[in-house]
Amino acid sequence: MMRKVLIANRGEIALRVICACKDLGLRTVAVYSEADRYSLHVRFADEAVCIGPAKSALSYLNIPAVISAAEITNVDTIHPGYGFLSENADFAEVCQTSGIRFVGPRPDVIRLMGLKERAREEMKRHGVPILPGSEGILTHAAAAQEVAAHIGYPIILKASAGGGGRGMRVVRDAAELAGQFTQAQNEAEAAFGCGDLYCEKYIERSRHIEFQALGDEHGEVEILGERECSVQRRHQKLIEEAPSPVMTAKLRKRTSGALKKALEAIGYTNAGTVEFIMDDEGELFFIEVNARIQVEHPVTEAVTGVDLVKAQLRIAMGHKLRDILGGPVEMRGHAIECRINAEHPETFTPCPGRIKALNLPGGVGIRVDTAAYVDGVIPPYYDSLVAKLVAHGCDRAEAIARMQRALDLFIVEGVHSSIPLHQRILADPEFQAAQIDTQYVQRFFERAKAAETIVAGA
Amino acid sequence: MTLEEIRDLIKTVCESGIAELEVQRGDNRVWIKRVGGTLTQEIVVPASPAPATPPPAPFAQISVPATNLSAADAAAATEEPDLTDPTLKAVTAPIVGTFYEAPAPGAETFVKVGDAIRPGKVLCIIESMKLMNEIEAEIAGTVVKRLVENGQPVEYGETLYLVKPD
Repeated sequence: MMRKVLIANRGEIALRVICACKDLGLRTVAVYSEADRYSLHVRFADEAVCIGPAKSALSYLNIPAVISAAEITNVDTIHPGYGFLSENADFAEVCQTSGIRFVGPRPDVIRLMGLKERAREEMKRHGVPILPGSEGILTHAAAAQEVAAHIGYPIILKASAGGGGRGMRVVRDAAELAGQFTQAQNEAEAAFGCGDLYCEKYIERSRHIEFQALGDEHGEVEILGERECSVQRRHQKLIEEAPSPVMTAKLRKRTSGALKKALEAIGYTNAGTVEFIMDDEGELFFIEVNARIQVEHPVTEAVTGVDLVKAQLRIAMGHKLRDILGGPVEMRGHAIECRINAEHPETFTPCPGRIKALNLPGGVGIRVDTAAYVDGVIPPYYDSLVAKLVAHGCDRAEAIARMQRALDLFIVEGVHSSIPLHQRILADPEFQAAQIDTQYVQRFFERAKAAETIVAGA
Repeated sequence: MTLEEIRDLIKTVCESGIAELEVQRGDNRVWIKRVGGTLTQEIVVPASPAPATPPPAPFAQISVPATNLSAADAAAATEEPDLTDPTLKAVTAPIVGTFYEAPAPGAETFVKVGDAIRPGKVLCIIESMKLMNEIEAEIAGTVVKRLVENGQPVEYGETLYLVKPD
């Protein structure tokens, strides 16, 4: 029986989980740091427990504090949200031994997915395409040299324990390999406490495409289509959409089939996202699995009509995917999400502070997930996400028009926001023509700069 | 900024009828706002008030009740000791867990009101993840009040005792 859920997170995702719990008639417990005392997740949960000071290592990442809070409030379930403890296998294990349900995959599956190079081998074994690269861990630069000689430059060195671009290095020729190898190894060691590296063929121009998976505790996995997240800057996603404008029904079907088989074989349960890159010939290659709910899950919710967070909770209750989904999942229309961050729209420097005025857009086809309110503070300790603005339309053009309208009606005062940048991107002919890849934002800024120079010169 | 100064500021806002006041003095910032006749206030200080807190950062928010003591304490303020005494120091919970005032059920409590304490003296136990953590005094003084009940869950930063320092 699930009765009471502790949400081990903050901000909009904590509120999102509280909403799903309310829809299911579950009681909720919020945990918070001293910096978040006046947050909406604290206000709207049935109970709230302060678990530590502002610094996340001492609060939201503090496993004993979170478990203690769960024990004093008698919860039977913990939802980790995204980030923080969501992909921490040790935390999932502590929950298990404390008799608390963890909403996510089993600890051993989280651990396997966290070892990027192992996950890659596992996927390959089950017929999911991967990029040519090393088999297993590269023990020294010479081993990488050998692989590179075989697959050709450029290659990308990656940390097995990695993520977020750390311990990652693109190597363009043999001369720079040794130096880059040592640097990547040191960076990985410093960031993750493990210097293990592997390498892959590096694709210069690629799209970021990811598939949403749900797995129940009875051995069934379903794939709920894909999202495209190519509009990103330094591995930070700015705009996500579903479906990908370049996906074909045939490729979607083939990839979904392979993933379903692979994830069922691994014993994957609950929500997960499988990331791919697509090369300029339209081929997909597996990159990694994110064993959690993603920030951008609402675009999939918009086009599939499936409440993914509610599905996560129902899976954790032991419900069958067949009952949760109630039939085959179809994608309807097109959805786009803009991550509205408290940051300078051009320099990208985070801009914490107090929100003095706020108008959240609404109207047909618009959804806003946020924990912001007037007089509320965006603290400097955590991510700078203010709101996720999601537009849904019958096709991409309608979704773009609705997003543009919503951005115009979205007012945030007191902090800088990325709204002006989103407005410019949505109006860009290249974006509108879906000519996007992971270098798009960089090109966009270069073009903008060039245009300015011409104007200044004229 | 002292409590007295903050009181004066609140009084000033009340008497003047202005809606909002923000005062910065060194690292302390006080923001007082009148919301439909009631007052909300927030004090912003760099985060380094307690041991084991992270390095200073600009927006740490620590709510400080306007009259030194929380509502529950205010209700108890009619009792003998003067709980509004600004020199009283709060002993707060360093971890989340369950508060116990004695080493075992039925055993004598670690401290009673009126006891003199010295740094290192065990005041209570907080049970966290099946571990019994002894909470020690950091200052010397006299216990004036215990604010939580035996067996009660406590959150991080919750006031456990008020101590009159020597």
